Amino acid sequence: MLPTSLPLLSKGGHATHCKRCLSGLPSSQVDIDPAKLALSFYCLGSLDVSGELEKKTRDWEREQWREWIWSQQTREPVLKSKCVGELSQSPGGHYGTGFRASSYMTTKHSTEEYSGHDNPQIIMTYTALLSLSILRDDFSRLDRKGLLKFLRSCQNIDGSFSSEPLGGDSDLRTTFCAFAISTMLDDWSGMDVANALQFICSCRSYEGGYGQSPFGEALGGTTYCALAALQLATKQLDPLSLQDRQKTIRWLVQNQASNGGFSGRTNKDADACYCFWCGASLHVLNAGDLIDKAAMTSFIASCQFKYGGIAKIPGEHPGTPFSNPLTLQQTLS
Amino acid sequence: MHHVKRNRQTPEALAEKKQREKSKIDEFLTLTDDVLSRKKKQEWSNDAFELTQRLLQINPESYTVWNYRRNILLNGIFPQSTPEQINSLLSNELSMTTTALKANPKVYWIWNHRRWCLENVPDGPERNEVPSMEWRQANWDKELFVTERMLDADARNFLAWNYRRYVLANMPTRRPEASELAYTSRKIGANFSNFSAWHQRSKTLARLWESGQLDPIQSRDDEFELVSNALYTDPDDQSAWIYHRWLIGSGENKTQLEREIQLIFELLQEQPDRCMESLVHYKRLLLQNHSPDSQTLKQEYQDLSLRLSAVFTVLPYCAMVRVAVCSNTPVLVDNALDTCIINKAGTVWSHN
Repeated sequence: MLPTSLPLLSKGGHATHCKRCLSGLPSSQVDIDPAKLALSFYCLGSLDVSGELEKKTRDWEREQWREWIWSQQTREPVLKSKCVGELSQSPGGHYGTGFRASSYMTTKHSTEEYSGHDNPQIIMTYTALLSLSILRDDFSRLDRKGLLKFLRSCQNIDGSFSSEPLGGDSDLRTTFCAFAISTMLDDWSGMDVANALQFICSCRSYEGGYGQSPFGEALGGTTYCALAALQLATKQLDPLSLQDRQKTIRWLVQNQASNGGFSGRTNKDADACYCFWCGASLHVLNAGDLIDKAAMTSFIASCQFKYGGIAKIPGEHPGTPFSNPLTLQQTLS
Repeated sequence: MHHVKRNRQTPEALAEKKQREKSKIDEFLTLTDDVLSRKKKQEWSNDAFELTQRLLQINPESYTVWNYRRNILLNGIFPQSTPEQINSLLSNELSMTTTALKANPKVYWIWNHRRWCLENVPDGPERNEVPSMEWRQANWDKELFVTERMLDADARNFLAWNYRRYVLANMPTRRPEASELAYTSRKIGANFSNFSAWHQRSKTLARLWESGQLDPIQSRDDEFELVSNALYTDPDDQSAWIYHRWLIGSGENKTQLEREIQLIFELLQEQPDRCMESLVHYKRLLLQNHSPDSQTLKQEYQDLSLRLSAVFTVLPYCAMVRVAVCSNTPVLVDNALDTCIINKAGTVWSHN
């Protein structure tokens, strides 16, 4: 049944919430520090997608943020030789160039070279590039060659990408980041594409969605990561047969609950962020018209918090805006 | 921030608070500097070991300090320890990280450290002068128990299920697959909606069928019985329907397919949406795989498809209905049927 009118989207409120988060967070949120750059992206993304970025922020603020993001770009240490033929030990390793989350690992003023304990991280690199795009940077400072080397050093034998060259989570999320970075660089020499595609396929479950890693149950977030990565690399989602696509569409569609929201897994409750992960996945598969948009919009609207931000379910506090821009994107599209 | 209580404090109290925070920060920075400089000097002392623990309690994300801690064990402490002492040290590490995980369940580096500990438990103790696998087995068994506790707390915790699969695959003495089947039975019995348990069951069965430990045909029959209990208990349960569809697979077994179609017909009154959707799919499989020339079957299938298109109740199911109907191959659905469905739906959906 179609609702006759939908609640208003509180754009201003959400923008204020994101602006507040960009200014600072309470000490209760300290465990987010290792993901600071990602958090910044979600705030900037929300402001951008709702057209509030220039209204709510000043030039000097955006300039400051751009500088802060660039200060997280770290390169491999340059080998210094004391005399001809002698090379000093380089504790930092040679993994190319990327962005770290923040300076949370270093006690001194941050340097341009990493030293083994503040390596660049793939998700932070992905969000850094997107944030700089939102802030309209010209990317003249980007070490593209180093970035490609970084990607290569993150790829594993099974085709997946680790969050860092030394290890860390390696699953569809980090793998998607590698695909997105390659797309933004318009250069795929940083990865073994065939092997990566094979890893993506190995995460597919019989439900039709994609798990975080092989043998896992299908999850909305990683299904999006898989489909988006396939589209970025192949344009036509080549590895998927017609039957595969239909099965995936079926799984995604049945995740829309009767309250209009989407759940992230079989038999879980609806959560606002999955309106994006599952909704956008359906768009990638050209099946966006199967979404009951009015019901979904109504659900998202009911998740809005009166002081700004979008919670995962109606009546809850939104916390930090990790999924804000995504759910906003779904509402505005 | 909106969800942080605002306490009114005097300027003096605020200044004092800031001073306390500053001391904490200074302490943390000094500790970090100390640990990292000892690491650079490759110091493997007990003091250094102690310091890494203090630092990791504050910042468990510091992968470099976890690495240093492992190197201290390998280079400093283990060489001076008996196998028994090493086992004891690693058991301590596992206890320490269990505490860390309670506060930080998603930090990869903590899980990574646990895996390293498990994989480095020495052979022993000696039995008749021959090293046994008892220490290893004991630690891995305990680890499996850790996953069970996590799943008791949250039966859908997929990280815990993933970790459980890792533990089962890497134990020194592998548990029989049948015991995992029993575990999933318990979890499903506790809650039919626990799709993670059904999912684990499907993985376990696939291995049992592949290895020949279970006859796929008989086993599937047993599974159909299990899932039909779930379907009769709650015909709306998504988990049971997905599991049922997995069991049917591509519909090669005609007897099972026909029997299950019959069962679903019986459930039709209880749950028209999901039943109709599955019926159409299974009838199509029957037609395609076993009787492609049967006009009777083709007619039944088309009738069902039309009935399905008439089931426009809650829209999510409508979408599923459209997916189901429009996933028919063109040879089985003629234009008249297509048009009829499209008109009823009120929207145009191309199945190209």
